[in-house]
Amino acid sequence: MSFDVTLIFAALPKILMGIGLTFQLLILSGVLGLALAVVLMLMRVSGKWYLSWPAQVYIYVFRGTPILVQIFIVYYGFPQLEFIREGILWPIFRDPFGCAIVALTLNTGAYVSEILRGGVLGVDRGILEAGEALGLNRRQRFTYLTTPIAARLALPAYGNDVISLLKSTALASTITLADMTGIARTIVAQTYAPYEIFISLAIIYMIITFFIQKLMARVERWLGRYTLRTGQT
Amino acid sequence: MSATHPLIRMRHVGKHFGTFKALNDINLEVTKGERIVVCGPSGSGKSTMIRCINRLEKHDEGQIFIGDIELTDKLRDLNAVRREVGMVFQSFNLFPHMTILKNLMLAQKLVRKTPKAEAREVAMHYLNRVKIPEQADKYPIQLSGGQQQRVAIARALCMKPEVMLFDEPTSALDPEMINEVLDVMIGLAKDGMTMICVTHEMGFARSVADRVIFMDAGEIVEQGTPDTFFSAPENERTKLFLSQILSH
Amino acid sequence: MDVLSGWWDDFFWGSVVVAQVFLASLVLMVLFGLIGAAAKLSGSRIAHKIANGYTIVFRGTPEILVILLLYFGSAITLTAIAQLFKPDIKFLDVPPFWAGTIAIALIVGGYATETFRGAFLGVKPGSIEAAQALGMSGFQAFIYVRVPEMWRLALPAFGNHMLSLIKNTALISIIGLNETLFVAKQAIGTTGQPFIMYIMVGVIYLGFSSVITLTVMALEHYGNRHMRVTT
Repeated sequence: MSFDVTLIFAALPKILMGIGLTFQLLILSGVLGLALAVVLMLMRVSGKWYLSWPAQVYIYVFRGTPILVQIFIVYYGFPQLEFIREGILWPIFRDPFGCAIVALTLNTGAYVSEILRGGVLGVDRGILEAGEALGLNRRQRFTYLTTPIAARLALPAYGNDVISLLKSTALASTITLADMTGIARTIVAQTYAPYEIFISLAIIYMIITFFIQKLMARVERWLGRYTLRTGQT
Repeated sequence: MSATHPLIRMRHVGKHFGTFKALNDINLEVTKGERIVVCGPSGSGKSTMIRCINRLEKHDEGQIFIGDIELTDKLRDLNAVRREVGMVFQSFNLFPHMTILKNLMLAQKLVRKTPKAEAREVAMHYLNRVKIPEQADKYPIQLSGGQQQRVAIARALCMKPEVMLFDEPTSALDPEMINEVLDVMIGLAKDGMTMICVTHEMGFARSVADRVIFMDAGEIVEQGTPDTFFSAPENERTKLFLSQILSH
Repeated sequence: MDVLSGWWDDFFWGSVVVAQVFLASLVLMVLFGLIGAAAKLSGSRIAHKIANGYTIVFRGTPEILVILLLYFGSAITLTAIAQLFKPDIKFLDVPPFWAGTIAIALIVGGYATETFRGAFLGVKPGSIEAAQALGMSGFQAFIYVRVPEMWRLALPAFGNHMLSLIKNTALISIIGLNETLFVAKQAIGTTGQPFIMYIMVGVIYLGFSSVITLTVMALEHYGNRHMRVTT
């Protein structure tokens, strides 16, 4: 058994061809998932049972089942249903990319909504009371007080979820998508060199993770500029 | 509202939290320009009582009137009432993510719909009043506790309320900062602001209050002018409380 | 629904496999997490660096990749080693069960390291000092004061780790482990009913995660009983 470094150099460019797809999956699902998460969170904190309840059930189901199963249900299972095949969304569900986006969005939406809710609940009650005492109504308090503070509180956990989402994109390879993992697996099947290829792939993911963390740290510093006594950033 | 017509009226007000009775048959009238100090042991219901006045707590029994408006669930514009009642909290509760100036301007813009330039003028006026105009562009975390509380007072004053409520305003402050806040409050009292103040600062009560109210176990036990209250308390419980806090 | 008949058995045994993976990986995850936390808390710079490396590697790499790497990599290594002794061995592999279990234990263990470390540090130093002032030995203080409090602090995050373990089990089907997702694939081969089969897998996993969540809630309730004002 030998470790063939030349193999790495040959394989890297091919693997990196998949990075575009990886980022498309990450960013598209990330943005759509965040939008979904905001909606779910608002439903959860609305106080109205007919909004809160469905949201809770949704979150419970999507956080309680493996993402891989969710991907398979969307990709393999949905086409079996007539109303999907004949619905207007069929072009999305027919395509593995569309299915991956749908599954990843639905999944990350559930997790991020809980993170946002944690942020909202973490806002000091005294601050909201001061807003009340000054005469601000519910919407004003939520917009000017809760949202900015909750966003800052939620950011660390949100950053972790972005990284989780990155890792979940690798599962797109199980439904024929040629993202970085998909390409790598093909190469390994041909060359029988799992160490060289998979370790290289792992290093690429770790580098991307590193940059995401740096980005998050920067956003955290900017959002938290009012928490520093000396006024520096 | 005329000088004799009470600004605040509480009639047979009661409140419970679960099985615990926090307020029991509270009757209180506050006329314009009156300065009232409320004291009593912890858990006596002092905070709860003043928090019912701006409906941060909802009373379960009795009636509360602010001017001619009664506080009920059906009240359409609670925020209109809250505009006239200013509150200063024990833990200041400044908005941490806004500068001092923005803290003072936010409610003016949103609640009184004051245009930006005017709001800024009002803000700077009261910031000067509490003697820290140079802090306008700082964030709350950069100020000391005493400064933050003075900002909190200015913030409430910017809404030009009819009455100011103080909920233990100096209890969370280090000793050396208590006086700077009390001085501001004394200044307010001298200018004729109607105020209800929950506090342990008996020196303040003696020099400023028109009336001192003692509460215990959810009830108003005794009230009187500072002279009679401190030198000749009638009720046993009042005497006990005064002996505990005034002994050293 | 009668599509499922004939497959109940297989799903049942698949669920048993899920439970087995869970228990095995749970033990290993706690082990890896404690070792990692200990390394980070020790004064040694080298241990700290290694533990840091461990967390970075396993938190930054997709789970599926770790599983594939461990499975195929170990197969190659093992075959090579075996061929040193018996050259005519063609192929030797680690059973998917163990490759997968160790893989997910390593992954979640990376997160557990931070959880245990945070819980350890979360115990108020004052409590330990008080114990020492009372004359308790370092070991006694550890067992009677630090561990119970640590446990209580770690519990919520630990519950999440357990949920991660359960859900990651589905990924091991990719390397051929005979758990429920794998069973579903076979069932679809014969019945052609992907939707129902995968929903079934979802329901089974939802069942598992519900049991874990309820258990953690009960443990939290018990662990926090001294913290509630009213019993």
